[in-house]
Amino acid sequence: MQRFRRLVAAIALAATATTTVAACGGGDNGDSNDAKVLKLWHYESENSAMGVGWNRAIELFKSEHPGVEVRFERKAFEQIQQNAGMIINSSEGPDIMEYNKGNATAGLLSSQGLLADLSSEADKRGWAGKLSPSLQTTARYSDKGVMGSGKWFGVPNYGEYVTVYYNKDLFQSNGVKVPTTMAEMTAAMDTFVGKGVTPLGMAGAEYPAGQLFYQLALSKGDRQFVDNYQLYKNPVDFKADPLKYGADTFAQWVQKGYVAKNSASLKAEDMGTAFIGGKVPMIVSGSWWYGRFKTEMKANWDTFLFPGNTLQAGSSGNLWVVPENSKAKSLAYDFIDITLRPEIQDLIGNNGGVPVAADASKISDPKDRKLIEDFNTVSKSDGLAFYPDWPVPGYYDVLVSGFQGLINGSKSPDQVLDTIAKPYADGVKEITGK
Amino acid sequence: MAVSETVAATPPAATPTPPAPSRRRRGRNAAYWLYLLPGAVLFLLVIGAPLVGTLYLSLTKWSGVGDPRWVGLDNYQQLLQDDVFWASFRNTVWMLVAMVVVPTVLGLLLAAVLFDVIGRRFKPRTAAALRAAFYLPQVLPVVVAGIVWGWILRPDGAFNSLLDAVGLGALRHDWLGDPGTALPAVMAVMIWVQIGYPVVVFMAALQRVDPELYEAAEVDGANWLHRFRAITLPQIRPETFVVALTCTIAALKVFGPIFALTRGGPDNATNVPSYFAYYTFFKKLQVGYGSAISTVLTLIIVVVAGVFIWMQARSERRDRGF
Repeated sequence: MQRFRRLVAAIALAATATTTVAACGGGDNGDSNDAKVLKLWHYESENSAMGVGWNRAIELFKSEHPGVEVRFERKAFEQIQQNAGMIINSSEGPDIMEYNKGNATAGLLSSQGLLADLSSEADKRGWAGKLSPSLQTTARYSDKGVMGSGKWFGVPNYGEYVTVYYNKDLFQSNGVKVPTTMAEMTAAMDTFVGKGVTPLGMAGAEYPAGQLFYQLALSKGDRQFVDNYQLYKNPVDFKADPLKYGADTFAQWVQKGYVAKNSASLKAEDMGTAFIGGKVPMIVSGSWWYGRFKTEMKANWDTFLFPGNTLQAGSSGNLWVVPENSKAKSLAYDFIDITLRPEIQDLIGNNGGVPVAADASKISDPKDRKLIEDFNTVSKSDGLAFYPDWPVPGYYDVLVSGFQGLINGSKSPDQVLDTIAKPYADGVKEITGK
Repeated sequence: MAVSETVAATPPAATPTPPAPSRRRRGRNAAYWLYLLPGAVLFLLVIGAPLVGTLYLSLTKWSGVGDPRWVGLDNYQQLLQDDVFWASFRNTVWMLVAMVVVPTVLGLLLAAVLFDVIGRRFKPRTAAALRAAFYLPQVLPVVVAGIVWGWILRPDGAFNSLLDAVGLGALRHDWLGDPGTALPAVMAVMIWVQIGYPVVVFMAALQRVDPELYEAAEVDGANWLHRFRAITLPQIRPETFVVALTCTIAALKVFGPIFALTRGGPDNATNVPSYFAYYTFFKKLQVGYGSAISTVLTLIIVVVAGVFIWMQARSERRDRGF
């Protein structure tokens, strides 16, 4: 037993010594202008538009910072989503990281003091001038972590928005013209239904249903509604337009056969592959599909903005954030600056992405150019209305569940609005304390 | 009845009187604790500490970053009034049917038929091949199985195509998208996943049953059903307990298939406590509330496991006659 006690004592001593040494080494949170390492994490795939752009940005950064080592690690989206708080609260985190925009992510971390305030850099380096007000919404957060005002805690350099993808060949073979108003849109869908074709691809088990509902609601909404719903400026009445219009119209579209009644269990991937396979003439979804359709789709296709809407679901892309614990903040700011340069922005645009500060005339493919011009139109007219599931944590699943009920006919629009109203109110109360 | 009497007549194991522990023996026994130390440390690190941590967090309000705020039993009070929580437990009862009751009963019958009928009338290889076929779903990662079944059950999936092919196209349905059919569809998948496990365990159990018992029963004129009731069931009771216990724990904490197939939807029709806890933790960022759900679930699993072990011990004592 004597030997056993000695062993335990030795282990305890070793553990204490290790902890003490680690504590001594980890205490330095200050920025160092002569840092020789930049730890950079993001979760874009290598051949995506952003992946291509940022690879080039890393090359430029290295050439402009000789002697600085860039330690890049590609992470999984879920890995960052679920562990970011712990990661950047430790001394093992990166110096700069791609992170999700919104109250429940960047907002939450900023409210806990885990992200560096980028406001002075945004002014000094002119980032504010490159981003429209609706793009800046996701970059700035209040003390409580609510987006839209306050300090800069992130910088986006690409955008995304919801648009209508359509199969040109199916439109032509069924004698349907590209609609420019909602009346023309419903007429086009009636034509398809009359010919036994379900006009709109849908996926009730994931985001597409919620986004269609939101697009319909936005057709009756204005910036004040968006501010109320997304930024809690005023209480939102779910039993009144525009949300009531959104739910009622969605239900009508299901009844009229514009949306398949048996699409409640389908996932976004199913909807996308149905469009790629030419099974549905239209889908209402995000610009993130663009590159994939460009690569995989054989039929002729194009996009048009949701007819009649001045507001579109969309936002900046994810953000570059700099953890407060970063030891190379200046280098991180330099890197952000590079990603906003025309060269990188054009590269993102020429690879099927939606840059935030690109010159559309530099985009060689006419279809790519149109995608970016449409985005610029929406962005410059302050038309980005964000996404319906953003306001409160966990709201995505609430919306999915609600609209599955509308698609399979197990719930009325009023019941769905009740279902989604309470979690919204509870969540807003949780965040604002009101 | 002669058969069961034969079984019951097995003499109880002798219980030697333990010798009085000497000082030297006590010292030697104390040294054994050293060998238990690694396991104990691992247990504390992997199970004990997280359990205490979860229990503590369940008494707080916390978003996952910053400092947790102590709220006492508020989360548990909220839990008792949460419709989704109760709905998830109602669904768990159905998962118990799909993952314990049906697989155990069917597994028992299948094992007996494979062992006693197929194994005798055909080559043993045939029974082994069929056993492997039943066990195959257990080898597949459950999320992969879930995704594949999702494809099969989707509106334009293989199952609806099959209905079309056999002239039952009128029955085509969005099986996982309708609250009325989603849970039965998930239950069917879980029966398919689970069935191989009891079949394999029960067939292994049947191999240790003395063949003379069956031969004696046949000589006495017992048919297959008599033999099944009087020999098979009592002889493999210990394995039945093990299967029922492990399957019950699996059903109580089922997560992977729900995540892959339905994410608890539509309208919570397939929600279960572990998915509800995950959703509360990672999607709603209500770590305290999620911890309360996990704590209640852990408590239920421990109690159920305790009851099973107690019942098994009592059954063994009864078999030994003391």
